[in-house]
Amino acid sequence: MSSNKDILPPEIIKDKGAIHPINHMKDSIMNLLVSLGFEIIDGPEIETEEFNFDMLNIKKTHPARQMHDTFYVENKSNLLRTHTSPVQIRGMLEKSPPLAFISGGKVYRKDDDATHLPMFHQIEGILVDENVSFAQLKDLIYRIVHSLFGEDIKLRFRPSYFPFTEPSAEVDILSTEGKWIEILGCGLVNPVVLENCNIDSNKLSGLAFGLGIERIAMLKHDMNDIREFYKSNLDFLGQFK
Amino acid sequence: MKISYSHLVSQIKENPSIEMISESLFQLGHEHEIDGDILNMELTPNRGDCLSVNGLLRDLAVFYTINLKEKIYSKKIDKLQLDFENLSQNICPKISFLKIEIDKVPKEYNKYLNDYFIKLNLNKNNFFTDVSNYLSYETGQPTHCYDANKINGKLVLQELEINQEFHTLLDKKITLSDKNSFFSINDEVVNLAGVVGGKSTACSRETKTVLVECAFFEPEAIIGKSLKYDIQSEASHKFERFVDPESHEYVIRRFINIVSEHSNIKEMSFISYEYKKKQAIKIPVNVDKINQILGIDIKEDQYVNYLSKLGFSINDNMINVPSYRSDISSQNDLSEEVARIIGYDNISKHKLPLVKVKTSNTDSIENKLRFFLIDHGFYEVINFPFSDEKCIDSIKIDNSLDSNKEYMRTNLINSLLENLAFNERRQKDSIKLFEISDVYTFKNNKIKKKRNLGIVASGRVGHNHKDFSKKINKKYLTNLFKDALPSEDFAIKIFNRDGLNSKIKNEIVGCEIDIENFSTEVLNYREETRPPSSFKKFSQISDLPFSSRDLSFSIKDFSSRQNLEKYILGYENELLKEKFIFDYFYNENSAEIKIGFRFIFQSVNSTITETEVNNVMNDIIRHTEKIKGVTIPGLK
Repeated sequence: MSSNKDILPPEIIKDKGAIHPINHMKDSIMNLLVSLGFEIIDGPEIETEEFNFDMLNIKKTHPARQMHDTFYVENKSNLLRTHTSPVQIRGMLEKSPPLAFISGGKVYRKDDDATHLPMFHQIEGILVDENVSFAQLKDLIYRIVHSLFGEDIKLRFRPSYFPFTEPSAEVDILSTEGKWIEILGCGLVNPVVLENCNIDSNKLSGLAFGLGIERIAMLKHDMNDIREFYKSNLDFLGQFK
Repeated sequence: MKISYSHLVSQIKENPSIEMISESLFQLGHEHEIDGDILNMELTPNRGDCLSVNGLLRDLAVFYTINLKEKIYSKKIDKLQLDFENLSQNICPKISFLKIEIDKVPKEYNKYLNDYFIKLNLNKNNFFTDVSNYLSYETGQPTHCYDANKINGKLVLQELEINQEFHTLLDKKITLSDKNSFFSINDEVVNLAGVVGGKSTACSRETKTVLVECAFFEPEAIIGKSLKYDIQSEASHKFERFVDPESHEYVIRRFINIVSEHSNIKEMSFISYEYKKKQAIKIPVNVDKINQILGIDIKEDQYVNYLSKLGFSINDNMINVPSYRSDISSQNDLSEEVARIIGYDNISKHKLPLVKVKTSNTDSIENKLRFFLIDHGFYEVINFPFSDEKCIDSIKIDNSLDSNKEYMRTNLINSLLENLAFNERRQKDSIKLFEISDVYTFKNNKIKKKRNLGIVASGRVGHNHKDFSKKINKKYLTNLFKDALPSEDFAIKIFNRDGLNSKIKNEIVGCEIDIENFSTEVLNYREETRPPSSFKKFSQISDLPFSSRDLSFSIKDFSSRQNLEKYILGYENELLKEKFIFDYFYNENSAEIKIGFRFIFQSVNSTITETEVNNVMNDIIRHTEKIKGVTIPGLK
C-alpha cells in the first residue's frame, strides 16, 4: 500500500562542509590543555630575532639562525617565527607567575621536501610556579599523551637538547608496528630564559612542552604524506566531516 | 658521525655487546643507528665533546670501566721557531704547531690505523693527513697538516672581508666572499680556518716534513662556512660544536706517538700560543637543588659519584666542569647529567597540581564563523602565505624558497581562487571554500597584522534534487548569509576568472573580511555541526579522472520508491565514489514519480574503463528491474 509519504520529495540532506583536519587537531589539543588549566595566548607569526632566538637562549651560533633554516624578511629586520615559543616569552613578560599558557599556530622553516614543509603548526605550553620539577613535567606529559592516544599507549622519555629548556627531553610513543615514534619535545624552562623575562629563577621554575600538530594528525588519521594537508583537495577535506 | 663499535669496546673492560652499548648510549641521549659494526651517531649540537671515540668513552664511563690504551709521546719537545702572526686572537685564543721531519714515508700502516680506514670505509690520502684524520676520530680535535717545505713566508691568521679565489686541497675552487677566517702566506689564502686547507700547501704522499696546526676556533667564526662554500668538512662540524681548548698538548703528543710508530722521526719541535685562557667553570655542590629540579631524592655522595664518573672534579664544595664540557654552566645543566645517568624513564612522575578551568576556545567570533560556514557546506582550507605577487605593502622574504614565493600574501582570496581552480581541474562541480588566517603588510617601516576570513564559491549549489541545477551566484550567496546572519554584511563580490588555470566558466563569488569587522551578534549563531568526535582513518585519494552515469526511473507503484532509494543509496562498490538523487518529479496527472540518480566512478589505481563502469551499472539495473512498479524509461 502506498501512502502520501511515498510521493513526498526525497529528504534533502544538507551538504555540510568540514573543518580542516589540522585545525580540528589543534582545537582538540588546545581544548584538552585548557581543561587541564592552561590559558590560551596568541602572538604574531612575524617576529623579531630577539623574541624568536635571543630571549630563548638560542645563541648567535645556533644553526637554526642561519639563512638556510629561517626565513628572514625586509632586510633581516624580522623573521617568520620558527616556533611558537616567542609567544611564551611575550606571555611571561606581560603576566606575573604563577602562570600556565598555551599557544598554537603556524610556524615556518626553510624546508620543502616530501617530509618537511616550509609552514607547519605547533602547540606549545609553559607553566611557571614554585618548585616545578621534571617529575611533574612527566606527569603532565603522561596526561597529555594518554588523552591523545589512550591510556594503554607506551611512551618513553629520552634526553635531548633545546636551548630554552634544561633538562630537555623528547617523548616517543610505541606504534602498533612496534616502532618508537617521536611526538613531542619538553623540558624544564632554562633559568636563563626565566631571567630574560624578569622572573627570579632562584624562586621560581617552569616546565615547557611543544608538539607538531601535523605529526599528531598524521598518526591519528593514519596518513603518510604531510603534503596532503595543504593541497586544498576537496576529496581530502571531505574525509574529515 | 660514524664510530666503530670495536674501537669503543676495545677500551671497555666489561666487553659489552653492541646492543648493550647502544642501550647505554641511548639512555645518555646519544641517538644512533646500528649498521653492522658501525654506530651512526646523531649527536645533539651541544655535545661536540662526544664527536670522537674518546668523547663517547668519557660518557660511557658512567656505566663501564674504561681503560684508555692510547700512548702519547712523553719526552721533552724542542721549541719551534715559527714565523706566525695571529691577527684575530678573539676568534682563535689558542693555537699550537708541531713540526716533524721523518726519514721515510711509511708504505704500510699499523693495524689500528689501517683498521680505521677499513672499518669506516674511508679512503687514504697521505701519511700525515691520514694520521690527522685518525686523531680527529680518536680525540675529537681536528688538526691541519701543511707540507712544511711549501710554507715560504710568514703564516698569518686573520678574520676579514675578502674576495679571493681559493683552491682547496679537495681540488675544488671556491670564491671566498664576505667575512672569513683564514690563514695566508704572502697574502694568498692557504687555509680556510677550521674548514678546509688549501692545495698550495697541502701534504702529498711524498711529504716528509709536516707542520701540524692544532687550534681552538670560536664556533662563531666557523659556523655556516662549510654550507656556504658547499664543502663537506668534519673539522668544521667539530669546531662549530666546540672543541676542547685544553687538549692541544695531548693531541700533539699523541700525533708524535703515532708517527713514531710508523717512521723514524729525524726532527721535531712544538710551540703553543695561548692569548686568552678560557675561564674554568665552577658550580657549587647543591644536591638539594638537583633533587628539587628533578623531583628525586638522591644523597650527596651518590651525586658526587655520578659527576666523578663523567670527569667532573670536586674541590672545596665546588664542582669543576671539565674543559671539554662547554654545555655545562648551571645547576640545571648538572641536573640533566644526573637524569641521564639515572635514566629519564626511571624518574617517577609526581602529580602536577593544575587548576582545571571549564572554558573552551570554541566561543570566539572566529570559531562561530567557522562553524557557520561548515553548516552551509563550506570546507576550510589552509594555504601557505608565500606569493609571487608584489603589492605596495607586501613583505619581502629575504631568502625565499624560490622566486614564486618572494612575498608574503596580502590577501587570502588569491590563494582561495587557486584552490578553486585546482578543484575545478579535478572535475569538482560544487566548490565552497574558506580560510581564516593572519595577513601581514609592511607600511611606514612597520609590520601590520590583520586576521581575515576569505570565502570563495562556484558551481552547483548542492548535490541534491533541489539544488543540483542551481548555480552559485552573488545573489544566492548574499541571501544565504543574510538569512543566517542578518546582522553581518559579507559584501559578496564576483571574482574575475582571468589568469585562473581552469576551463570552467561558472561565476565565482566570495569575499574577504577582517574578522574584527564582524559584530558580537555572530556569537548568537547556533551551529548545527560539531567537530568530529573521532579522527577518521584517511583513505587514499585518486588523481585519476572520474566518470559519471545518470539513471532515471519511472515509479508507478509508489510503495516501491523507498525500496529503490534504499537499494541505490546503500549500494557499495570500490569504484563508486558518490551517488545522489539529482532529479525528482511527481506527476499527479499521470500518477508517476520520475527520479534520477547520479553515479560517480573513480579508481585509485588506474583510469576507470567503460567496461568497469558498465559492469557496476548493469548490476544496479539488474537488481532495480526486479523492483515492482519501477521501470527505466528508454532502457533496451
